[in-house]
Amino acid sequence: MKMNQQKIAPYLFISPFFILFFIFGAFPDLFSLFLSFTRWNGMSKIEFVGLKNFIYLVTRDDFFWKSLTNTFFLLLIGSLLQHIIALPLAVMLDSKVLKGREFFRTAYFLPYITSTVSIAFLFGYLFDRNFGLFNYLMELAGLPGIKWFSEPSTVKPAIAILLNWRWIGWNTILYLAGLQSIPGELIESARVEGAGRYAIFFFILLPLLLPVIFFAVSLSIIFGMQLFDEALILTGGVGGNPGGVDNAGLTTLIYLYTVGFRWGKFGLGSAVSWVLFLIIISATVTFKKIIERIQH
Amino acid sequence: MKSVIGLLLSFMLLSTSLFAGGKQEVKKYNPDSPVTITLGGYGDLETAYKAVVESKDFKSKYPNMKVKFVTNDFAAHHDRLTTAIAAGKGAFEVEAIEIGYIAKFVANGGLTDLSGSPFNAKDAVKNIVKYAVSNATTKDGKIIAVPVDIAPAVMFYRKSLTDKAGVDLSDVKSWDEYIKAGRKLTVDKNGDGKIDQYALTSPESVWEIPLNGGKGGWFSSGGNVLEPKERFINVLNLVKKIRKAGIDADLDAWSQSWLASFKTGLVATHFSGAWWGGALRTWVAPKEKGDWRVAYPPGKALASIGGTYLSIPEQISLDKKLPAWELIKYLTTNPAAQLITFKKIDAFPSLTTIFNDPVMDEPVAYFGNQKARKLFAEIALKIPESSVSKYDVIARDIWITAVTNVIIGKSSVEAAYDKAKKQIENRIQ
Repeated sequence: MKMNQQKIAPYLFISPFFILFFIFGAFPDLFSLFLSFTRWNGMSKIEFVGLKNFIYLVTRDDFFWKSLTNTFFLLLIGSLLQHIIALPLAVMLDSKVLKGREFFRTAYFLPYITSTVSIAFLFGYLFDRNFGLFNYLMELAGLPGIKWFSEPSTVKPAIAILLNWRWIGWNTILYLAGLQSIPGELIESARVEGAGRYAIFFFILLPLLLPVIFFAVSLSIIFGMQLFDEALILTGGVGGNPGGVDNAGLTTLIYLYTVGFRWGKFGLGSAVSWVLFLIIISATVTFKKIIERIQH
Repeated sequence: MKSVIGLLLSFMLLSTSLFAGGKQEVKKYNPDSPVTITLGGYGDLETAYKAVVESKDFKSKYPNMKVKFVTNDFAAHHDRLTTAIAAGKGAFEVEAIEIGYIAKFVANGGLTDLSGSPFNAKDAVKNIVKYAVSNATTKDGKIIAVPVDIAPAVMFYRKSLTDKAGVDLSDVKSWDEYIKAGRKLTVDKNGDGKIDQYALTSPESVWEIPLNGGKGGWFSSGGNVLEPKERFINVLNLVKKIRKAGIDADLDAWSQSWLASFKTGLVATHFSGAWWGGALRTWVAPKEKGDWRVAYPPGKALASIGGTYLSIPEQISLDKKLPAWELIKYLTTNPAAQLITFKKIDAFPSLTTIFNDPVMDEPVAYFGNQKARKLFAEIALKIPESSVSKYDVIARDIWITAVTNVIIGKSSVEAAYDKAKKQIENRIQ
């Protein structure tokens, strides 16, 4: 009897997680996978349509392709390029000579813990045509003000400015954690050997930081491909002209939301989510291979 | 013997169930039985309806009915309702639906047919504005929601600015006449070389007026998209003409600059539903009291921009549907309730019997003592009925992209029309 209880006990202890996971994680995922092969508006009977949704997405859905192009572009200028800034910032913050490091760390991390919706609304004010800070600064510099959300060409840069402001601090903190795990003796002995600041950075710190770079960039890919709130609020929210003027800010997740909840095509919406999942997995695996190749 | 007993038992069971069924059919709301009804809504509906259910009249008629409110923002409310209907669980007894979403529910189901017994909504809605009822009626005559407020579209204009420009916008015969007046309204007031007064915020605020506010009419009777073509091409030409005339301030709707333009005098006119008057009065431009006026849109175009419906999801049990229906009936067909809603949140009544109420004839101080409500009522009664389809929201979303592309000069009128038509056709298959 006691033996039986001992056997069951561990499973009982871990069961709360699995019960919750199956209800709120696995079931919705599997149901959306099932839905992606169906036509369903949320109220009608579910009709099995095989691969039709996927074929439609790939061959005929110009909104889907536009949303993917937008998302990739925003991923590049809003999520990936910021690592080039975050890494040197982390090195600076790691410097022993910098005063007030704690303050800077907190300041950089603050945007990450602030509500996305509040940030997006705040940036809406900053981008305002007549009263916004950005146009005010441009006018001070003698440049004409920009109609940020009235011209397709400036919608994505505006979203990217917000993304960079929000995530640079997060990535800086990740890199800082990575830098602090590198043994100080390594850097010290390199200095003794006569290595300069740049040589230490490129030949010691950077190679040792590769696992952290992989982690940080992978997170950027995952979050960047699922960009939603910021773009949605800045481009005017739900209702008409998804993603703003000329659909310039239509990300794949906004498209998924529009197709599913606004247009009532849950089957197609689910197919979008699974295609997006495959893209994210492929991008992450590809990046892992690149990092591994560099390491070897 | 066994078969005889079996037969008797079957007969007894059948007759019992028949009686039970019969009893259920004639079931009525029992005012003596305590009940709590939850109303899911958005925006400031709760403010108005709370005042209604706290009124003496409501309490005396429904002493045992307690009404709770769950309010969300506009999009979150409709998303929650869509999800609850899809899941078959979680919807509240009464759910508010904005006019822009009603077509989806009319076509896809999920809401109780109120036209049949025991609700008999056809009787209840006979005094409610016709076009609004038709928007919530299925092709086979089922009424799935009842209009509680409507929003006839008007042209708002600032008298001081039109007087200064020497134009009269109280009766504009055509859009060309409007553009002509708009040119006079677009001025550089301080002579610094920059225009600091425009006719309107953006041509985007105009497209809904000639298209009945985008409520139905996206498909011809034969099911063809964006037909008749001329109707849609004219709208694209109109927005193009307005932009070309340089009479719009090119502001993004709901941005800070856009909101400020109504009080700073940057714009002289605006097109919207009657509810906009409430927004101007209470928070957009309260200090401009007495300066704003309302008039028919150019060419006496008829449209509705906004409006709310009340519905009962199918998943609600009959026990709860009956008191829920009582609440809906009270909010939509009781003159006092409609007037409370109107006074509280400026949601224009859907009940036509109060269009002759003295309150409609009262001068409105905000509009320079103009009898604005009379105009709203007059327009509301003239708005034509239109049939909606489940693809309306798709057509509307894609159409707006076409409109903005013409405005910014990215597409020609023909190209934008063709692309939108093709995209909508591609979507609805």
